[in-house]
Amino acid sequence: MIGKETAAGRTTKFVFLGLWLLFTVFPLYWIAVTSIKAPGDVFAWPIAYWPETFSLENYRGLFDKADFGIYLANSLVISTLAAAAATVISMLSGYVLARFEFRTKSALLMAALVTQMIPAFIALGPLYLLMTDLNLVDNRFGLVLVYIAVCIPFCTVMLRGFFANIPEALEEAAMIDGLSRFGALFRVLLPVMRPGIVAAFIFNFVNCWNELFLSVTLMNSDANKTIPTALNGFISSFNIDWGSMSAAAVLTILPTMVLFAFASRHIVQGLTAGAVKG
Amino acid sequence: MPTPATTERAAGRRSPTGAAPPPGGTRRKREFTTGRGLVIAAYLAPAAIFVAIFTYYPVIAGSQMAFRNWKLTDLTDTAWVGLQNFRDVFADPAWGRVLVNTVVWVVGSIVPQLVIGFALALWLRRKFRFRGLYQALIFFPWAVSGFLIGILFRWLFNSEFGAVNDLLQKAGLIDTPIPWLASPDTALTAVVIANIWYGVTFFAIMILAALQSIPDELYEAAALDGAGKARTLFQITIPFIRTTLVLTVLLRVIWTFNFPDLIFGMTGGGPNNQTHIVTTWMIQTTQQGDYGRASALGLLIVAGLLLFAIFFLLATRERREVKGVIGS
Amino acid sequence: MRRTKAALALGVAAAMLLPACSAFSGGDSGTVTLTMVESLTNPSRTELLEGLIEDFEQQHPDIDVNLVSPPTEQADEKLQQMLMSGSGIDVLEVRDITVGPFSTNGWLHDMKADLESWDGWQAMTENAVDAAQDGQGRTFYVPYGFYGLSLFYRTDLVAQAGFSAPPTNWDELLQQAAAINDPAQRRYGYAFRGGKNANSNVTAAISAYVADRIDPANGFQLEDGTSIFAAPEAQQAVETYFQLFRTASAESSVSWGYPEMVEAFANGSTAFLLQDPEVIATVRESQAISQDQWTTAPLPTGPSGKTVQPLASAGWGVAASSSHKPEAVELVKFLAGGDAAAAFAKGNSLVPTQRAAGEDEFYKTGPWASYVTMTENPQTYLNITQPRGVAWWTEWEQKADADVQQVLLGTMTPAQLLAEWDAFWTQKWQQGK
Repeated sequence: MIGKETAAGRTTKFVFLGLWLLFTVFPLYWIAVTSIKAPGDVFAWPIAYWPETFSLENYRGLFDKADFGIYLANSLVISTLAAAAATVISMLSGYVLARFEFRTKSALLMAALVTQMIPAFIALGPLYLLMTDLNLVDNRFGLVLVYIAVCIPFCTVMLRGFFANIPEALEEAAMIDGLSRFGALFRVLLPVMRPGIVAAFIFNFVNCWNELFLSVTLMNSDANKTIPTALNGFISSFNIDWGSMSAAAVLTILPTMVLFAFASRHIVQGLTAGAVKG
Repeated sequence: MPTPATTERAAGRRSPTGAAPPPGGTRRKREFTTGRGLVIAAYLAPAAIFVAIFTYYPVIAGSQMAFRNWKLTDLTDTAWVGLQNFRDVFADPAWGRVLVNTVVWVVGSIVPQLVIGFALALWLRRKFRFRGLYQALIFFPWAVSGFLIGILFRWLFNSEFGAVNDLLQKAGLIDTPIPWLASPDTALTAVVIANIWYGVTFFAIMILAALQSIPDELYEAAALDGAGKARTLFQITIPFIRTTLVLTVLLRVIWTFNFPDLIFGMTGGGPNNQTHIVTTWMIQTTQQGDYGRASALGLLIVAGLLLFAIFFLLATRERREVKGVIGS
Repeated sequence: MRRTKAALALGVAAAMLLPACSAFSGGDSGTVTLTMVESLTNPSRTELLEGLIEDFEQQHPDIDVNLVSPPTEQADEKLQQMLMSGSGIDVLEVRDITVGPFSTNGWLHDMKADLESWDGWQAMTENAVDAAQDGQGRTFYVPYGFYGLSLFYRTDLVAQAGFSAPPTNWDELLQQAAAINDPAQRRYGYAFRGGKNANSNVTAAISAYVADRIDPANGFQLEDGTSIFAAPEAQQAVETYFQLFRTASAESSVSWGYPEMVEAFANGSTAFLLQDPEVIATVRESQAISQDQWTTAPLPTGPSGKTVQPLASAGWGVAASSSHKPEAVELVKFLAGGDAAAAFAKGNSLVPTQRAAGEDEFYKTGPWASYVTMTENPQTYLNITQPRGVAWWTEWEQKADADVQQVLLGTMTPAQLLAEWDAFWTQKWQQGK
């Protein structure tokens, strides 16, 4: 809290923070170390917490055995596009839900909340049929459309919170100056809300990046696979190849981790503006 | 003692749901014009169309399976069976165990996540050296997929070659390795630990963000009144961020409930079905080919969560939120 | 400035997506594109299959094949989803346990007439020809190979423990495995199957003990019509088998399925493993144990000196909804016959379907020799058919696996397990009558 810190309080704080850091980072460290062990050393006993011989064999194998580069590119493009589109669409809906009162509003908010409760399985079959009819099975653009729909509800609620906290006077002034409502939204509110929008985008991105079931169902060819599908493939019926799997895991975690690291300040700042405040 | 509404007004902020609407808002609300309706419709349309087509349509089309004899082993007769699938769910001898597990899974994960997340947020509020780096390091679990966390912790908890047993043995806490994921007593604990690792971040981020919106003047005033740490926490901090707390907990409960990925990656519901929660149970039912019963389970999940959400919001007396989210 | 950059990035991303949209909207006229789905996917098998498909495409320039390889764990669901939708699938992997439900649902094309004059039949073993037909003489899939058990063992560990030869029966297996087991050194005797599909090895042990009296047409039945689980020998079999878990296996094997068992052997920590021949390829790639440290022995026998080899099969079939059936059948013929079949069985290390394999040196040496021994001695290693095609097979597997885990965790006795299983099958057979 903001009051004075006692020495004892400080010690407790840093001990706790240190322990938590260890607990958080250790699993990642462990998988990273596993990934750079020589394939034959992964199951060596006693356990080595620092590899005796460094080896990039697991990573090399990954790019040889599977087109990991393609999967990375697919995931990157699909997640970026879907997250960006969902953020833009949710800005519109979040804005209206924050600024206007109308009869169906609470029903719409409820509908958004319910989407979070639905297990994906119920929808999988009919969704596959729908995508077949639309000729969008095994199509990256099709997956983007579905991911946009997945991201919208939470993103809308989140952005609605930001809009509610921005004084209306801001855009009213702009509208008096001759801008349309749409123009006011994008020219005036957008810059004010930048951290919030970044936060919303990141949440969307992470959701898309990690999505497995829809991707497996809707994508067929190898050229369209995303990272989670490929990763799942490594738990093939053959064996648990912990070496390759650790390498794949590291490569999967890395992009989102870097994104989170760079954006963690934005996230907190953005949410400070009032995320999930209803 | 300042209530949330007064503190917000004191800080010159609008209440998010319009409890203290500015004069302009009232005027616009009364006046219904076609133009205004069109603006609302146009802005909502993209979101509504996407969600309607790709979420609601498939769900509604899919839920009819719950009332049919829809077994993949024989789809030649998918007769309407009314509520039979629901009765089958309740009659299953494992159902009780699955429900208990679900409660343990949700409560056991959420409570520590909330407490630790809150503590982290309080401690991260004040600037210290390397705070940015620290934040970046501890926030990343949120970016890892449930399936991957399952893999990560399965490897850690591996009884023969896992680091957990090895470290515990080195520390002298245990003599023989614990078969973490092979014993029903420890498997559920292990998956809950993994979930705590994952979920603290979301609480920490949300609460930290909310804390930063508390104006310093409030704390200064409290300090002048001679309020201690505990009193400040319970009389200023918590009331002020109450809405964030309530909604974060609600969302996390819903998400945790619908989070079979981690358990599936770690134990697949085993051993002996002892770590199944309702959603993993549903996946298992799907794998047996009984889509009818699996859909019935799915609908029960939605109904259960909906009831929970309503009662939770009422019980936490977040009337404003109830009004905002589900209508009055 | 920043906005321009963002717009540029979006534009580039969109440009990357566009080719993907058009790629599936047809292709040049006259070319037929077949979609083929495999389900027992793993990376090296997919590579092998892609190579064979390339050969096929060269021989048939007017046919393109799009191979779909979903991750194994999600493959069955994905396959069912595609079949239910009634479009977008031509050739698929069909297994003895999926052919029943798939054909009942009308998802599979009966290739009987298409293959009437196929010369590929002559080159196939009797087992393979039999597996290609169901009870009513229909052909829903042509097998690409068989899965059958043999005993993988560590020659060095067996010798170190003072044994001159690998075990030939279940009692010896228990004795040797227990002697080798040393948990403190992270060394285990037997890779016990306690998780997914745990039931299969329990029934393998039971079958061995009742081999004298088993019904060849229904591996879960004795000649007198009662279930194998009710036989007194079965009691002995499960006692021995579960003793393996208690005295010779890693504690965590309660939850071991295929991957963990294979890993336990391949990483050098476990001495015995009962598995399919495809494991040979995996273990050969192992960096933890070298080729001279392991080999295979024939399946352990029961007290009568006989045992039962339950052959499981899988193959290629054609979807009923395919609009290119003639081309699809061509692909099945290509993959299931001649060189392609031989190459696939060898590369994927399966019990081959081609007669010519009997002469191949490859199968006479090393870990493969035990399979030849078993094939050449059908009086000792009986070929029987398990009722794997019944509609309740998945229900059975899940129930049986749960029961096995209960025994391992001590909440059920082996005798109770046998009683449960006997009741299950007796009831199903009565319902079927």
